[in-house]
Amino acid sequence: MRRTALKLTMALMALMATLALFATACSSSDSSMTIAVPADQPTIQKAVDAAKPGALILISPGVYNEDVDVSTDNITLRGLDRNKVILDGQFKLENGVRILEANGVVVENMTARNFTSNGFYWSGVKGYRGSYLTAYRNGDYGIYAFDAVNGQIDNSYGSGSPDAGIYIGECYPCNALVDHVTSEFNGLGYSGTNSGGDLFIVNSIFRNNRAGVVPNSGSYELCYPERDTTVVGNLVYENNSVVAPAIEVALLAQGNGILLPGGVRNLVQRNQVFNHDRTGIGLVPYPEEDASDLAPDAAEWDTPCSKTHDVKVPPIAAADCKAVDGLLKGCVVFWNPYENRIVDNTISGSGVADLAVGTVDLLGLGVTTDLLRNCFSGNTFTTSAPNDLQALAPCDAAGNGGSWDSGALDLLGLLGSPAPAPPKDTYQTTPEPAKQPNMPNAATAPVTPAPTGPPKVDIEAIALPARPPETTIPPAGT
Amino acid sequence: MRRQILLSRIWVVAAAGILSSAALLLGACSTSSAASEETNRENSQVSPLSPARHLGPQGQVGQFVTDCGYSHSAPDDPIVFPGKPGMSHVHDFFGNRSTNADSTTVSLLKAATTCQKQRDTAAYWAPQLRDHGQAVVPVKSVAYYRAAPGVNPKDVVPFPEGLHIIAGDMTATEPLSADLAGWACGVSSSHDAAPPQCPVSAPLRAVMTFPDCWDGVNADSKNHKSHMVNSSAGLCPRTHPVHVPQLTFAVAYPISGTGHDLTLSSGSTYGIHADFINSWDQAGLANEIKLCLNRDVVCGLSSNRDEDPLFGPK
Repeated sequence: MRRTALKLTMALMALMATLALFATACSSSDSSMTIAVPADQPTIQKAVDAAKPGALILISPGVYNEDVDVSTDNITLRGLDRNKVILDGQFKLENGVRILEANGVVVENMTARNFTSNGFYWSGVKGYRGSYLTAYRNGDYGIYAFDAVNGQIDNSYGSGSPDAGIYIGECYPCNALVDHVTSEFNGLGYSGTNSGGDLFIVNSIFRNNRAGVVPNSGSYELCYPERDTTVVGNLVYENNSVVAPAIEVALLAQGNGILLPGGVRNLVQRNQVFNHDRTGIGLVPYPEEDASDLAPDAAEWDTPCSKTHDVKVPPIAAADCKAVDGLLKGCVVFWNPYENRIVDNTISGSGVADLAVGTVDLLGLGVTTDLLRNCFSGNTFTTSAPNDLQALAPCDAAGNGGSWDSGALDLLGLLGSPAPAPPKDTYQTTPEPAKQPNMPNAATAPVTPAPTGPPKVDIEAIALPARPPETTIPPAGT
Repeated sequence: MRRQILLSRIWVVAAAGILSSAALLLGACSTSSAASEETNRENSQVSPLSPARHLGPQGQVGQFVTDCGYSHSAPDDPIVFPGKPGMSHVHDFFGNRSTNADSTTVSLLKAATTCQKQRDTAAYWAPQLRDHGQAVVPVKSVAYYRAAPGVNPKDVVPFPEGLHIIAGDMTATEPLSADLAGWACGVSSSHDAAPPQCPVSAPLRAVMTFPDCWDGVNADSKNHKSHMVNSSAGLCPRTHPVHVPQLTFAVAYPISGTGHDLTLSSGSTYGIHADFINSWDQAGLANEIKLCLNRDVVCGLSSNRDEDPLFGPK
């Protein structure tokens, strides 16, 4: 009997202890984990500072003249109305929401405008999500993820930035998904330097930018080259704006739909691309003067970014430092586009060519266009440079042995006459965007954590988007 | 999720005991490491004249970057000739819009800024660059704030309010170490003692690196230098024990190609130098240092993405 009683007592004690622990756990995951702004905390920053991991910050409609810094893991910032919860930098503050080495932070259903740098910015994080975000009139990027992995940017909108509306850079593998975004009236619709690896840009619209989708390579940042980005099922059209704000690389890329300057091993499939002054889909070199490093060999393309962070980069050896006559100082590195697969796209209405690939061997290294191993199959198009590109370089089949010189891309002509640069503050007067759709049930929807690994995307299930019946771009006014 | 919370709570309780004994051990450790640091400091009492600089592409160490437009030029120098307008060679001023010979920390703190970070109301200046004797109007300045190589980023504290610092040597007529003050093309970390010929896609910059160890007492000194020295192998000497950010200041000029004849208002281009008064909004500076430097986060970059393209109009 006594032993039974003892057992029972012990069992009860254990149960009570467990219950007590449960109670503690529960209380920290219910209402105390939701912080209302301004009801509970007067500013978004104060709410963030008070938040513990797991917290949901619910923000009521209002214009908030704040730049919010987040350094707490796993919190969610959510606006109750995407078009009425507005972070406004008044062209004085730098970033709308800046997440620095805080993992798993979710920002959703709000607007950031008039910041001198970025609307929404993640740097050095594992796990991030931006959903139902609107970013416009920001001085660098709209929605910007740098050195960040395991991410998602969806149902979001970027306009009026001189660099890219949406940007994911310096990650490999990025494990990131850009899905159902619209990016217009920027220098670049999408860009990402030295990013890729399970990086998907899908189901999105890039229109009326200076240039549409422009990931690129360069040794001015770590983790080169740009590689293994998948661009599928997007509408890319009329990226010819001469009045959108622009940094210089956007002027260089002007009038191209999908441009891969120095991009490697990317897949561009089933995109609807039309009406560009220059190329619909163009594979071109990115010439970098006074480069910090040479372009790595193919054997190094699989090196994860994490392995490059602490590697000291020695100066380029004198023997490898090639200067180009008339192009002056330093080592010039040509980041060439290699092994890209361009398949099943529909491209039309391009001023120079619907499909184009070209390089120029200014350094005398013997790297010519036919040696870059890019391939083209199943595309619907009219013009290409070189001529008959799909017969010349089909995917998974031998080429017809035709001439790469016939109708070759005039790269110097293509790049040699960029549009004039707009004034630096052009971004401050870009058009007010249309009202954007809200996330469903913002007030009551439970917290959905940020991704923790590579996105699961069935690219075979993504169809070629139909050409919109009305392709007239809204007038670009001020 | 709940299971994880439970487990972590149980672990916390169990770990508390272990931790407290570990703390004792750590205490012992830190004492001994402090002692070895002392030894190191004594061994490196002579601080190097040139700073150790970060080389290669940005992004390997935590940093924040502040871009400031060109504000104005004047023959003023509130550090070397305070209260004496017109006494100095001509300087180009960046950041704080009000900087002149009569500037004080108090007056600077009240003024506006040309910097993208509006909380950066610090005063930065450098001698005026001349091309064939004509003043060159700079494009902008770029200030990089980092822990110097080898410095534990957690040890870096904000510049004290009102700190005055000079980088470079205005009297130099022979090449100095380009690590201290030199010339580069674009954001390249390869520096020359004299201005190189730069491509249009990476035009000329003057780059100066300020010392990063402070004596902990004086905001300035008679020669405006002796209160600050460079760290060596990540350590500050006992005389200057306080780790402050290593500030690297670059001035971007619209100069590329050939046919230039460059001089400075102070004389030879070897004498490139820069001055800094910390009149940041102190809370804003402390926030950037806490978030970016102490946690070793790359909060921003300066890139050539906004320079003229290679094949642009010449």
